[in-house]
Amino acid sequence: MKNRDVTVKLQEVTFTYEGGVVALRSLNMSARRGEFIVVLGANGAGKSTLCYLLSGIIPHIYGGQRAGEVQVVGRDPWDDPIHITAQRCGVLLQDPEVQLFMPTVRTEVAFGPANLRVPRAEIERRVAEVLALVRLEGLEDRNPRELSGGQKQRVALAAVLAMRPQVLVLDEPTSQLDPLGRWEVVQALHRLKAAQEITIILTTHETDEVMDLADQVWVLEEGRCILTGTPEEVFTQPERLEAAGVKPPALAHIWIHLARKSGEPADLNGQRLRDLSIARVAERAANLLRQGWISPHPLPDSSRPSSPMRPAVIEVQDLVYRYPGYPPVIALKGINLTVREGEFVGIIGQNGSGKSTLVKCIVGLLRPTAGQVRVLGEDVRRLSVGQLARRVGLVLQNPDYQLFTISSKEEILFGLRNLGIPKEEAEARVQEALRWVGLESEAETFPFRLSFGDRRKLAVAATLAMDPQILILDEPTTAQDHRGRYQLAELARRFREEKGRTVIMITHDMELIARYAERVIVMWDGQILTDGTPEEVFGQTELLHRSFLRAPIAYEIAQQLAPFGIPSRVLTTHDLLTVLGGLS
Amino acid sequence: MNAPFRYIQRQTIVHRLHPFTKMIYVLLTLLLILVPLYDIRHLPVLLIWLSLSAMLWVAARIELGRFAALLKILAGTFLFLMLAQGFTYRHGKTVLIKFGDLHFGGSNMGELTLEGVQLGFMLSVRILTAASSLPLLVMTTSNAELMAAMSQLRLPKVVTFMFVSALSFTSLIFEMWNNIVDAQKLRAFDIDRMDPITRLRKAYVPIITPLILLLFRKANDFQIALETKGFGSPGRPTEIETLRMRPVDFLAIAIFLVVFVLCNILRFQF
Repeated sequence: MKNRDVTVKLQEVTFTYEGGVVALRSLNMSARRGEFIVVLGANGAGKSTLCYLLSGIIPHIYGGQRAGEVQVVGRDPWDDPIHITAQRCGVLLQDPEVQLFMPTVRTEVAFGPANLRVPRAEIERRVAEVLALVRLEGLEDRNPRELSGGQKQRVALAAVLAMRPQVLVLDEPTSQLDPLGRWEVVQALHRLKAAQEITIILTTHETDEVMDLADQVWVLEEGRCILTGTPEEVFTQPERLEAAGVKPPALAHIWIHLARKSGEPADLNGQRLRDLSIARVAERAANLLRQGWISPHPLPDSSRPSSPMRPAVIEVQDLVYRYPGYPPVIALKGINLTVREGEFVGIIGQNGSGKSTLVKCIVGLLRPTAGQVRVLGEDVRRLSVGQLARRVGLVLQNPDYQLFTISSKEEILFGLRNLGIPKEEAEARVQEALRWVGLESEAETFPFRLSFGDRRKLAVAATLAMDPQILILDEPTTAQDHRGRYQLAELARRFREEKGRTVIMITHDMELIARYAERVIVMWDGQILTDGTPEEVFGQTELLHRSFLRAPIAYEIAQQLAPFGIPSRVLTTHDLLTVLGGLS
Repeated sequence: MNAPFRYIQRQTIVHRLHPFTKMIYVLLTLLLILVPLYDIRHLPVLLIWLSLSAMLWVAARIELGRFAALLKILAGTFLFLMLAQGFTYRHGKTVLIKFGDLHFGGSNMGELTLEGVQLGFMLSVRILTAASSLPLLVMTTSNAELMAAMSQLRLPKVVTFMFVSALSFTSLIFEMWNNIVDAQKLRAFDIDRMDPITRLRKAYVPIITPLILLLFRKANDFQIALETKGFGSPGRPTEIETLRMRPVDFLAIAIFLVVFVLCNILRFQF
């Protein structure tokens, strides 16, 4: 490795925030020009801190103590103001909304170079170039705020690239996007990588998306780098990844499982991970099944007990909702839906398809423009949101919109007081709710001191304490790591199974839906496209394709293995590994 | 609750005017209403200027609903002004309603007088005249144009960006406010069903506390996004939008000046 090619270098780097939290511990890493580095780790592992250190956000915006050496293109970001570091190292954040300031795409992209006093003709050349790279030509005069999530993030990416950084740091750039938005951003990253001009450092939880982008993978756990190497070296260790709270890419996980079952070394046998495909993995599994190396194991029938014709708890008839505005937007176009007691319903669809509008109509936050919504037999028009809150609990994506008291206990008590629950009963419910979500020891903790994952659990506890008949989770996976997203879904499953209540979950995570929901509803353009069991819905490949959705990888592999006796109800990686000779 | 007066991207003659032209219109409006116009006989002066504003609103193709939103916001203030002046105006002679005798500071606050109500009405029309001009500037001028215009005026970059950021933040505050109100309603906090006194007494802590905490966080994110885009580097940034005055701007300024002079002539007629 030539020294001049090394663009990022960290030597024995330890960082402690002003509050005393040690975020990074003795990190030693380096990256070369043109390399694509993927940084993985659970929430709190130190990924964002690493991004902040490289881009100069630490120490210029967030303070703390650093030990060790950081070099970005030959300079320590600690020594230069951010606007100087920004010329070498660009950074793209999670939330596109806070990164857009200007009224048009063109001025947004030009904003950075203009601040650096790049001549106007050069700015115009760069704007055209980077907009072509992120495939946003033709949208130059559009207001970035009116674009879709994926387009917004691509505008923000273009705005960073226009500053011509030699190192690009991307902090979970797809975590707040829908599947289409994520795909668009990942495609832009593929084109950027192909140019091989800059070093890209990307933090993410979505290992399946970046498996074929990475040249190097760094895995962080509690601030330490516990695993580093090529994707082939790192992704072939699924147990170590899972222990660090990282989801192994499904294809690599299944491939390694097959290798172990056939007695071969648990590696990729010299081939590159990016060459793995569903067809290839299915072919290998088929060969092993054919040759008798593995035999199909039965799939325990435990995951989704069916709900027979129980009473309807939600009845939606010809529901239309129109958002007032200039011009008005019709978000729901005649929805008909019945949800029965004890069901676990998953709602999927792109952003803007009407999922959130539908649940807001169910909980009374929005009043239907036309049609009717009945909850537990009562028309929601006759009830206030507060009255409905006794029947339906909606946990929003962002817990920070509701937390305001001095302790977790007070936070839960707030809703109970509003319901007029007697003090003694309220105290008992608080303890029960905290125990339910595993936050008993945090009863007196100031909510904003909790991690994001725990704040979400607290929001769930506050909802569960109100003892609703129906629990709705809106995007429980947003900004959550592999572990965190399953914790909330697991809480919902227990709520349903132990209390016999109804759960509705809105998510973009197909594996999560496949694992927990007994019924899946696909929405598109304000309408229900299909409604059925996960097997029925994921089997409609064309329809999913049209709505930019895709069945879980394991499901697609299982379909190709049907002639070998693999059951069609295999939906998740976990299911497939069980069927293909048991979990390793 | 939506931010009613944010930039609306359209291709109208008003949108295409140079920001200076629109700033001159706002400046003339302020000059007109800052001079004393207490007498009801001065009403035509304000109505002429209001008519000019109305024509600009129509030419900018801004929906009447937005003007209605402005009136809704100001209606309470207008009512308060007319009642407060009606009861406290010391030169009021024509009693409309008498509740009793409550002499204070040279006026009888137990009487609602016609002259007082008229004074409150004139103050209200002056406020309405002012309030109808600034939204027109904001709704028809993009942040980039405002920044370019302020840069041409050689205002410091920080002042320019503070102004533009404040405009951006307004939308964000409205959005966060709505989300927080929704989140608290979902916890049986029925703010809509509270009477105004209860609402003032207990409703705003659960809404304003998370709003402030979130604003701090957003402001941090905003600062990060700004500074990593080179904002803060010394020197004047390259002008992205080059704004030039065109004949239509001079024509518009001439019309504004003519109407302004006409209004002032009328004012001194009475």
